[in-house]
Amino acid sequence: MKKTVALSISSVLALSLILSACGSSKDSTTDTNASTASNEPAKKEVSFSIGYATGDPATKQAMADAVAAFTKANPNIKINDLSEGGSMAYLDWLKTKEAVGEFPDLVEMRDTQLFAEAGKIAEAPQAWLDLLADAPTFNDKHYTAPIVGTFPQGIIYSKKAYENAGVTAEPKTYDEFLAIQEKLKASGITPLTFGGKDIFHWGFWINKFFMDDMFADDPNWNSKRTKGEVSFTDAAPLQAMTDFTDLFTKGYIEKGWASTADNQTASMLVTGKAAQLFSGPWMFAQITQADPSFDYGWYPVPDRKGRIVVNGANSLQGWAISTAANQDADKQAAITEFVKFFFSKEQYTKFLQAVNGIPTTKETITYEASPQMARVLEVMNDPNTIKTLMINSFWGEDQMPTQWRNWFYKLAQEWLTKGSFSSDYMKKADAEWDANVKANAAAK
Amino acid sequence: MANAETIHAASSKGLSRKKKWFSYSVLFILPSFILYTLFVIYPTLNSINLSFTSWDGVSDKIHYIGLDNFVEMFHSERVYNALKNTLILSVSLVVLENVVALLLAVLVDQVRWFKSLFRSVFYFPVLLSGIVMGFVWTIIFNFNFGVISQLLDRMGLGDWKIDWLGDPNYALLAIIITTVWKGSGYYMIIYLAGLQGIPPELNEAASIDGANSWQKFRHITFPLLAGAMTVSVMLSMIGALKIFDQIAVMTDGGPGFATETLTYIVYKVGFGELRQGYGTAMSMVLFVLILIVSLIQIKLLKKREVQM
Repeated sequence: MKKTVALSISSVLALSLILSACGSSKDSTTDTNASTASNEPAKKEVSFSIGYATGDPATKQAMADAVAAFTKANPNIKINDLSEGGSMAYLDWLKTKEAVGEFPDLVEMRDTQLFAEAGKIAEAPQAWLDLLADAPTFNDKHYTAPIVGTFPQGIIYSKKAYENAGVTAEPKTYDEFLAIQEKLKASGITPLTFGGKDIFHWGFWINKFFMDDMFADDPNWNSKRTKGEVSFTDAAPLQAMTDFTDLFTKGYIEKGWASTADNQTASMLVTGKAAQLFSGPWMFAQITQADPSFDYGWYPVPDRKGRIVVNGANSLQGWAISTAANQDADKQAAITEFVKFFFSKEQYTKFLQAVNGIPTTKETITYEASPQMARVLEVMNDPNTIKTLMINSFWGEDQMPTQWRNWFYKLAQEWLTKGSFSSDYMKKADAEWDANVKANAAAK
Repeated sequence: MANAETIHAASSKGLSRKKKWFSYSVLFILPSFILYTLFVIYPTLNSINLSFTSWDGVSDKIHYIGLDNFVEMFHSERVYNALKNTLILSVSLVVLENVVALLLAVLVDQVRWFKSLFRSVFYFPVLLSGIVMGFVWTIIFNFNFGVISQLLDRMGLGDWKIDWLGDPNYALLAIIITTVWKGSGYYMIIYLAGLQGIPPELNEAASIDGANSWQKFRHITFPLLAGAMTVSVMLSMIGALKIFDQIAVMTDGGPGFATETLTYIVYKVGFGELRQGYGTAMSMVLFVLILIVSLIQIKLLKKREVQM
C-alpha cells in the first residue's frame, strides 16, 4: 500500500512539474543579451497584448497597421494582438477575455468606469497625458487616452437618390427631414437602411432621439433616473421613442432591417437599395471602398426645436493600461512607447485619415479630409452645435447601469416586431433600470 | 501441512498480484482524474457556490445574497419566455431530427448503389462547426442578400420574401431547420447501426408469411430499433436543451427576446449583463431540468426496448 501511495505522490509531483514548466514558458520578458552576437547593447525583449474593438473594418485595419508599423520599428517589442471579429459585443468579448485570464495589457476601453471600479485598469501614465489636449477624469483620476474625438452620427445620403426625389437642400428642421423621407419614398426608393442585426447599430438612432429630447437639455438625466426623479414614461423619452418608432412604422426604414448587419449598410447604399444611412464618419471609408464612384453627402439631423445636437462631448473611452501590465515596469515602458508612437504626428495622421477621425492630441494634426469629412468637422467646430453623449457614455453618478443598454435595444426590437409601442414598454425600461441599479449595488 | 503452506503461498501470491494490479490501475486513472477534477468537478461545485452570490464576474468581491437569484428567476418574464422557447425547440428538434434520421437510415440501408456516398453526404453537415454552419445559414436566410430572397426576386416573387431571422414568427423555425439539417446525419448513423444489427432471417420469415414492407417495418424493424432510439432521443434532447451556437450566430436571441433559450440567457446574463451570480443560478436550474428530462426519457424508452 505504501508503495502505491508513494507512486501516486510521485506521479502527481511529476504532473505538477510538467504543468509548472508549461506555465513558466509564458514569461513575457526575457533577457537576450547572452544570445546576441552584436556589439551594440541589445534591447530587452518585451511582449504585451493588445485588444481593441473590431466592428468597423477601417478602424480594425488602421489599428493593425499601427501595430505592424510599431513592431517593425521596435523589433524587441512583440505585440500579441488579441482582437478578433465575431458576433460578440465588445464588452462581452472583453469580459470573456477577463474571465479566462487573457485581459489585454493595452486595451481600448469603452466601459471605463466598470473596469476602473473593478480594479482591472490602472491610471494612465503621465507620459500619455502629456500627449493629449484633454482627457476626462473619473473620480479625479485619468484612466484613458482618447483614441479619437467622439464621432457624431448623421445622415449619409446618395446624391443621386436625392436628385431623383427632387431634394435640393439639407433639412433645417426635423419636419423638413421627415418631408425628405416622404419624397424619397414617393420616388420609389427605400429611404433608410438600418443595420439592425448588430446590437450597437441600434444606439445610433435611439440615442439621436434621447440626445435631442433628454440629454441636450439635461446632461444629468441618468442620475435623476437612478434617483427616481425622472422616468422613461415622462413626455421627453416617450416623444423620443415615438419618433424613433415612427421611422419604422411609416416605412422609412428598409423591410429587412432585423437581418441587415452594420457592415452590409454600405452595400445597401451603393447598390441603390436604400437612399440613406444614419451613421458616423467611420463609414466613409467603407462606402468609398464598396464603390469609389458613389457620390454621397453627410449632414446632421436637426431636432424638433431646429437645433443641431450631436454625440460629440468628451468621453472616458480610449487606450487604457491593465493593472497587471502597469505593475510590470518593462511592460509599462513598452506600452508607453507604443502609445507615444501611436499619437506621433506621422502615425496619428495616417490613422485619423484612415478612420476619418477627430484628433485628440495637443499637437495639431491636419489631414486632407474628404468633402463629407470636411462637413463633419465643420459641424463639430460650429459653436451652435450642442455636443452631448449617448446614454451609455456618461460616467460617475450619471452612469447608466451597463447591462441596461443592450437590453433596451432588444426591447425596442420587440415592440417594433410586434408593432405595439406604448408607455408600457417604457414602464418596463424603468423597472429594468432600477433592477440593474440594485443588482450592481449588491455586487459592489 | 505442506499442502496448507502451498495454498497459503499461492493465495498470498495472488493477493500481492491483485495489490499490484490495483496500484497500477490507480496510477493510470490518476492523471485523468486530477485534470477532470480541476477542470470539470471543481468548477461545477464552485458554480453551486456562486449561484448564491451577486458576483458581477469582474470584481474581486463576492457577496452572498441567499436565494435572491432563484427568487428573481422564478418571477422573471424573460426566463419564462426562454423556458418556453427551450421547450418548443426541444420537442421540435427531438421529433424532427429522429424522424429525418430514421428515414435517412432506412433509405441508406436499402439503397443498392452509392451507399457510402449517400452515407457521407448525409453525415457531412455533422462535421461542420456550429459557428460556421450558423454563418452559412445566416447568409442563406438574409432578407436582402440571401439565396432564398435572391431567387424569389429573380422569379418576380419579391413579395413572398420572408425575413427569416428578423421576424419573430419565423426566427425559431429557421433555427429548427438549420439544426435538423446539421444534426440528423449523426442520429442516422446510430439508427443505421441498429438497422444493420437486425438479423435478415426475421424479415425473410415475415416475407414468407406474406408481410408487406410497411408491416415488416412496423412489427420488426421499428421495435428492434428501440435501443438505438433510446440513445438518439436522449442525445437529441440533451443537445436541444443546451443549444447555443446557432442562436449566438444567427439571431443573438432576437429579434427582441424571441429566440432566447435557457442556455443563451445564462450566457447573456452572466457575461453580457455582468451578473455571473444570477447566470450561474440559472445554469443550476438548467442542469436540474436536463437531469430530470433525461431520467424520465431513459425510464420511458427503456420499457419498450426488445431484447434479442
